[in-house]
Amino acid sequence: MVRYLIRRLPSALAVLALASVLIFLLIRLVPGDPATTLAGPGAPPQALAELRSELGLEGSLPSQYLSWVGSVVTLDFGRSFVIGGDIGTLIAEGLGNTLVLAGAALAIALVLSLLAGLAAVILDSRWLNAVLAAFSTAGLALPTFVTGPVLILVLAVLLPVFPAGGTPPGGPFEEPGATLEFLILPAICLGLPVAAALSRFLTESLRTQMRQPYVMTARALGIPRRRIVVTQVLRNALPAAMTALGIQVGYLLGGAVLVETIFAWPGLGQLIAKAIGGRDYPLVQVLLLLSVVVFVAIQLATDLIHAYLDPRVRLGGRSG
Amino acid sequence: MSGALAAAAAPRRPSQARAALLRGQGLVGLVLVGIVVLAGLLAPVLAPYGPNEQLADGNLLESTAGHLLGTDEVSRDVLSRLLYGIRVDLLVIFIAVPIGAAIGSLVGLLASTWGFADVIAQRTFDLILAFPALILAITLATIMGPGVVTVSVVIIAAEIPIFGRLVRTSVLSVRELPYVEASTVVGASRWWVLRRHVLPNSLESLTVQLAVSMSVAVFVEGAMSFLGIGVRPPTPSLGTLINDGMRNIYVAKVQVVGPLVAVVMLVLGFLLISQSLGKARRG
Amino acid sequence: MAERLLEIRDLAIDFAHPRPAVNGIDLDLDRGEIVALVGESGSGKSMTARAILGLLPEGARARGSIRLEGQEVLGLPETELDRLRGERVAMVFQEPQTALNPVRTVGWQIREALRAHRKVSRREARARAIELLARVEIPEPEVRVGYYPHQLSGGQKQRVVLALALANDPVLLLADEPTTALDVTVQAEILELLRGLRDETGAGILLVTHNMGVVAAVADRVVVLKTGDVVETAATGALFAAPAHAYTRQLLSAVPRLPEPGDPVRLVEPVATVGEPTLRYEDASVVYPGRHGQAAFAAVDSVTLALAPAEVLGLVGESGSGKTTLGRVAAGLVPLSTGSVWIEGEDLAAIGRARLREIRRDLAFVPQDPAASLDPRMTVAESIAEPLDIHSVGDRAARRARVAELLEAVRLAAEHGSRLPHELSGGQRQRVALARALALRPRLVIADEPTSALDVSVQAEVLALFAELQRELGFACLFISHDLAVIYEVADRVAVMRRGSVVESGPIEQVFANPTHPYSRALIAAVPEPVPSSPAGAGLGEMAS
Repeated sequence: MVRYLIRRLPSALAVLALASVLIFLLIRLVPGDPATTLAGPGAPPQALAELRSELGLEGSLPSQYLSWVGSVVTLDFGRSFVIGGDIGTLIAEGLGNTLVLAGAALAIALVLSLLAGLAAVILDSRWLNAVLAAFSTAGLALPTFVTGPVLILVLAVLLPVFPAGGTPPGGPFEEPGATLEFLILPAICLGLPVAAALSRFLTESLRTQMRQPYVMTARALGIPRRRIVVTQVLRNALPAAMTALGIQVGYLLGGAVLVETIFAWPGLGQLIAKAIGGRDYPLVQVLLLLSVVVFVAIQLATDLIHAYLDPRVRLGGRSG
Repeated sequence: MSGALAAAAAPRRPSQARAALLRGQGLVGLVLVGIVVLAGLLAPVLAPYGPNEQLADGNLLESTAGHLLGTDEVSRDVLSRLLYGIRVDLLVIFIAVPIGAAIGSLVGLLASTWGFADVIAQRTFDLILAFPALILAITLATIMGPGVVTVSVVIIAAEIPIFGRLVRTSVLSVRELPYVEASTVVGASRWWVLRRHVLPNSLESLTVQLAVSMSVAVFVEGAMSFLGIGVRPPTPSLGTLINDGMRNIYVAKVQVVGPLVAVVMLVLGFLLISQSLGKARRG
Repeated sequence: MAERLLEIRDLAIDFAHPRPAVNGIDLDLDRGEIVALVGESGSGKSMTARAILGLLPEGARARGSIRLEGQEVLGLPETELDRLRGERVAMVFQEPQTALNPVRTVGWQIREALRAHRKVSRREARARAIELLARVEIPEPEVRVGYYPHQLSGGQKQRVVLALALANDPVLLLADEPTTALDVTVQAEILELLRGLRDETGAGILLVTHNMGVVAAVADRVVVLKTGDVVETAATGALFAAPAHAYTRQLLSAVPRLPEPGDPVRLVEPVATVGEPTLRYEDASVVYPGRHGQAAFAAVDSVTLALAPAEVLGLVGESGSGKTTLGRVAAGLVPLSTGSVWIEGEDLAAIGRARLREIRRDLAFVPQDPAASLDPRMTVAESIAEPLDIHSVGDRAARRARVAELLEAVRLAAEHGSRLPHELSGGQRQRVALARALALRPRLVIADEPTSALDVSVQAEVLALFAELQRELGFACLFISHDLAVIYEVADRVAVMRRGSVVESGPIEQVFANPTHPYSRALIAAVPEPVPSSPAGAGLGEMAS
C-alpha cells in the first residue's frame, strides 16, 4: 500500500507543479499591464510601482514564480484589490460555506445513488429500472444553470416554499435549522447531476458484478440473494465506485461556482465569480490553485482508497 | 463448453448502430437535436427581427402576438435572439467539439505508437484533467478574455484528453487481439493494423463519445456565458439568454423559458443519441 | 433408504433459443455412486445439473420431475430452494479462477456458506473452515483460511470451491466440468479427491464432463447426452467395451489417445535433417523484470531447440510452462531477453525491418480462441485474403481464386466466403484461421492451442485436416498444446516444457513410450485414459513421481 502511494505521489506532484506554473502565468498572459488594469488608467507612477512590487511583478520570471509559490505555501496570500480585505480571511470565510454546501450535495448524491443502485439490483423490476434510467438521464441532461432557475421559479417565486437564495442572517452556522431552509435548494441543484452520474455508474457496476461467477457460487450455496448483493456484490463494486466518486468531486468544485452564483450562497464559488467579474487576478489565481490542489488531492485519496479496498492491489500478487 | 453458456465465447456481431439510431431513444434524441439545429440554421428565415434590433414596442413585454417570447430590457425581440443565439451554440458544438476530438485522437494515436510521445501525452492529459471543467474555463477565460473563441478553446482543450485516452486505450487493446496478432505475424505493418482493424472497431466508441461531448459542450457554453466569461454581449447565445432571463425573472418570466427549453433539448437529445449508440455497441 | 437419491423423469428445458436445451430426459443416481453426464457443447448437460438446483438462466423454463430423496424439487419457491442449496445438494463449477469472491477471504466465504443454513459463532466457523480446508488437502489450512483467492493457485482455488460445497455435508454433489480448466496433473489430484470424498461420505456425485478420460477414471455409470436427448446409459466398463449407440461410438473414436504398451508403433517418416533447420532457438530466454520489489520472472529459460523443415514439433506443458511464450518468440511477437532465434538461417534480432517483413511471408500463426481468431467485421473471404492483401500478391482475380482454393482445401463450401465470423461454428472458424494461415504457402506455422476450445468430435476433424494439409504442403509446424494426446496425434517430435525450460525432447514415439525425465513421466501418467481398467480408479497415477 505504501508502495502504491509512493508510486502515485510523484506524478500527482508533477501535475500540481505544472498546473501551478500555468496558473502563475495567468496574470502575465493577460493583455495589458496588470498593475495599470487594477489601479486604473490615471494612477500615478509611484502607486503603480508599489502595486507592481506587491503583485510580485518585479524580477525575473522564475524568481517571481518561486516567491509566489513560497507565499502560497506559507498561506500569505496578500490582499484583494477589488473586493477588499485579506485574501486569506476571505478564503477562510468562504471555505466553510462551500464545504457545507458541497457536503450536503455530496450526501444527497450518495444516498440517492446507493438507494437507486441497490433497489435496481435487489428488486430487479423492469418497471423500476426504466423509471430509474429515465430519472438519471434527466438528472444528467439538465444543466445546473437550468435546474437552478427552475427550482427558484417553481419553489421560491411561484410557490414561496423556500427562500430564493442567500443565507440566514448571522451566517450558516448560527442557526442550523434556518440554514437548512436556505441550503435545500442549492444542495439539490448541485447534487442532482452527481446523483444521476453516480447512480448510473453504481447500477451498471452492480449489474456487471451480478453476472460474475462468484455470485453463482454463492447462490448455489443457498445464500439469499439480498445478502449476496449487500455483503458481496456491493463490496466488489466499491473500489471502482471510489474512483468514480473522485471524478465527480471535480464536478462539485466547478458546479459550486454556478450554484453559489445562482443562489447567492456566500462561498468560494461566489468569491471566484466576483473575482472574475472584478478582474481581481491575484484572488482568482489563488482560488484556481486551491481548486486544482483540492481536486488532485481528492483524486489521489480516492485512488488510494480504491487500492486499499481491493485486496489484489493491497496485498500484491501470489504468495501461495 | 456447454451450449448456451458458450454463447458468451462467440465473436461479437458488428453492431447495427444505424438501426439503433433510428429507433427508440435514438430517434427521440435525433428529433430533439434536429429541431433545434434546424431552428438555428433557418434563423434568418424564421426570425421576425434582427438579433440586436431595438424596437419601439417597449421593453420587458410578456408574450404577445408580435413578440412570442416577449422583449428584453432594451426592447429586443427575445424569439429572434433565441434563434440567432442557437447559431452560436451550433458553432461551438459542430466545430469546436470535432476539432478537439480530432486533435485528441491524433495525440492518442501518436501516444500509442511511440514510447516518448506516450509519456508526454499522458502528462499533458493529466494536466488538463487536473482542472475540473469549469475551473479550466475560468483559467483560460482569465487569460484570453471572454468570447466565443475562448469558449471554443476551452471545449477543444477539454476534449483532447478525453479522446486521447479513448483512442490510446482502443489501439492498445485491439493490438492484443488474436486476429491482429495473426496479421502482424504475416507481416502487417502498424499502419495496416490501424487502418484495417483498429479504426473500424473503435469507430463505435468514438461516436458515442462524440455525442456525449456535444452534450457537454452546450453545457460548458451555457455555464461560461452565464458566469460572464463566455459569449460577450450583445451577441446572443443560449447561456447569455438564460442569464438575461434570470435577471428579469420576476418581471418577465417568459424570457427564460425559450433558451431553457432549447438547452434541455440539445443536451438531452445528444445524451439519448449517445445512449442508444452505446446500447447498440454492447449488443 | 427406500428412495433413490436422485430421480429425474422427463425433464425438459426451454429457452428463447430455437432448439429446446433438454428434451425430456430420465436419469437416476444412488448414494455412493458417481454418475458421469457426458456430451459435447449444446448437449444440455450443464442445464440439467443447474435445473436440479433451480439455477437456470433468465428466460429458461423447466418441466418434468426432479426428485431428491423422494421430494420434488422442480418448481419449488426460491426460499425453499435456498434451503436445500448448499445443504442437501451442492455444486462445483468449472472456472476456479472466477468462482470465488475476490475481495473476501477464504474463511469468510466458508463462514457465509455455513451461516446460510445454521447459526455458527465466529470461532466455530473458523474451526470448521480449517477442518474443511484440511479435508480438501490444502497445506497449512490455518494460514490459508485468511488468504484471499488471488493468493492461491488454480488447483487450490478449486479445492476451496470443493470445501465450500462440502461445508454442510450435502448428500448430492453436482460437479460441472470441475477439472476442465485445470492442468492435467492437478486434474488427477482433484479427481482422486472426489473419489475419496465419495468413499468417506457416501454422497452421490453427478459429474458433468466432455472428457471421456475423466469418465473412465472415476465414473461408475455413464449417461450420454446429445442435443438434449439421452442416447445411452450404461455402466462405465460396459460402455467403453461395447458402446451401443452410434453417437457414443463416434464420441469414443474421436478422442485422441496416448499410445498403450501393446499398441503398434506408428511409423514416422524420417524427416530430412539435411540443411538449415527451419526454426532454431539457441539459449533463448525471455525474462520479465520484477515490478515493485518482486523478483524477475523467466517465462522462457535458456531453451535450445531446433525444428527441421516439414517437421511438426509439439510443445507440451502445463500452465506457466512457457510454451506459449516460446511459440510467440518464433512468431516475432515477443522479443528475446538473451540468446537468439533463427528462422531459416537468419537471426531475427540481427536482420533489418525490411528483411523481417520478407521473412514474415513464410510465417503464419493460428491462434487459439475461436471467438477472436477472426476480425468480427471482416467476412471469411476478406480474412483469408488478408495476407495476400498485405503483401499485394497478384491482382484481384488471382486473390479471389486463391481464396476459393483455400476454402476448398479446408473443406468449407464456397458460400462460406461471404459469411461473418459470428455466423460460423467454432470448428468452422478455426478452419478459416487455418486457411488464412496457409494463404502465402508458409514454411513455418506456429499453432497456439488451435483446437483446445473445440468439442471432441470437432477437434478430431480439424486435427485430421491439419495433419493432411501438413503432409501435403510440407510446412514445418510448432504445435503448442497442453493436451498430450493431441500432440501425439499430430507431432513428429515433442518437447516437454516446465517452468520455462525444456525438460525432455525427442521423437514422439520414444518420449511417450519411454519418458526419461520424472516430470514427463508424471505428466503422461496423469492423463486420464478413456479406458477403464478397473472399477475403482483407472489409468491414473501408477507413477509416484
